[in-house]
Amino acid sequence: MLEQYQTNNHFLQQVNPLAKLIALLVVIAAMIFVFDPWTPFLLWVVSVLMLHLLGGIPVKFITLISIPFMLFGLTFVWINAVFPAERGELILFSLFGLPIALENIQTGLSLGFRSLVFGTWSLLFVLTTSPTIFLHSLIQNGKLSPRFGYGIMAAYRLIPVFKNEWQQLKLAHRIRGLGEKGGLIGRYRQMKRYAIPLLASAIRKASRLAIAMESKGFDGSRNRTYYRVIRWSSKDAFFAMGVSSILTVLMISRQWWI
Amino acid sequence: MIPTKKLQLRDIIVMSAISIVFGILYLVWIFAAGLLSGVLGPMGGALLSGLWIMACIVCAYIIRKPGVAFMGEMIAAFTEVLIGSVSAGSVLLLGFTQGIGCEIVFALFLWRRYWLPILMLAGMGGTTANFVTSYFISGYSQLAPGLLVAMLGVMLVSGALAAWLSKGIADKLAQTGVLNSFALGREKLQKERERKNHGLRAN
Repeated sequence: MLEQYQTNNHFLQQVNPLAKLIALLVVIAAMIFVFDPWTPFLLWVVSVLMLHLLGGIPVKFITLISIPFMLFGLTFVWINAVFPAERGELILFSLFGLPIALENIQTGLSLGFRSLVFGTWSLLFVLTTSPTIFLHSLIQNGKLSPRFGYGIMAAYRLIPVFKNEWQQLKLAHRIRGLGEKGGLIGRYRQMKRYAIPLLASAIRKASRLAIAMESKGFDGSRNRTYYRVIRWSSKDAFFAMGVSSILTVLMISRQWWI
Repeated sequence: MIPTKKLQLRDIIVMSAISIVFGILYLVWIFAAGLLSGVLGPMGGALLSGLWIMACIVCAYIIRKPGVAFMGEMIAAFTEVLIGSVSAGSVLLLGFTQGIGCEIVFALFLWRRYWLPILMLAGMGGTTANFVTSYFISGYSQLAPGLLVAMLGVMLVSGALAAWLSKGIADKLAQTGVLNSFALGREKLQKERERKNHGLRAN
């Protein structure tokens, strides 16, 4: 489902993954000391627009996938209303004898919108970056050693194998009369039964994979050629300028409303 | 074969495989934690926070080389993002800081001692790092100090318990024999040999 967005050819998909990752971290850093509701709200609106216009992701899809962030955001509202560091001046109403202040609800809303902003920026990264290109970019543009990069990529190829293995285990247990039990306790018992065999076979397969790679001459040195070359381009410069100007404008104009 | 402190390709791939399994579990646990924190607020998350440092402890305890705890956690976080966690920003950031939190404790013991109390300390290091990161990204400074202290306490206990659980898993794995070429498996083999040499088996 995600691949369809990761591989289409809009602007954001062509920006270097490292640039997007750095932008994501910069946005998180910029929001750390913001506690008014409007700044994160505006940034959220801008981010959704960016994701839609520059990434070609339908707004409906963004909204649907943001529902968990919205729920998570709501917990900030009540927790800040009930357990604030300093109770605000303007008491709106009292809940079970606890006074609820407007200021604390505003802080809660701010943190709620903040989690939406982080969510949307994470989407911006996840929905427009294919994992393989990200790892290639980490090796070629970042400082990740090829030994790690290719080792990790090889291990990711094992995920479908793990899935098969799990199915086999399930069937094997069932044929011996250990049926599936529902409920939380049943789930817990299942996990206990499957965990060790699954991990053991994962380790065994991984060891073999390493031997296979080494026997084919992979030594993980930096002195190698790449099938897919990833370079910095002018698009990355545009992206960096765009993000920093959005943040600068927002940080300057927020002086008016706080 | 002389065991070196440098990471071999085999170490990297095995570490990745273990961390990937934990990455998948991390994603499942997020839903559980989401439900709990919906009811209990940040306290719910604190209760389970230890679960997210298990990849560090298991990998470090098995492979026992510098950097394993940190890379293991990063790979687990990356897996989480790859298979569908949409909150990439906080997941990667938390993976980064928790990995460092664990690694620092192992570094203090020069990556030489992997006893249970040290593993527990590493677990606590991981959850403390989680607390500090969350303090900034979730604006904990706006919450009541009493609540924060209680949360940190719960997270420390959670980290220690998770380390104990991780050690249990790794020891069980070592019994299957798949770890015989790693530090943990070698240690087990060594102990068995010594036991035989000392004639503790009565025959």
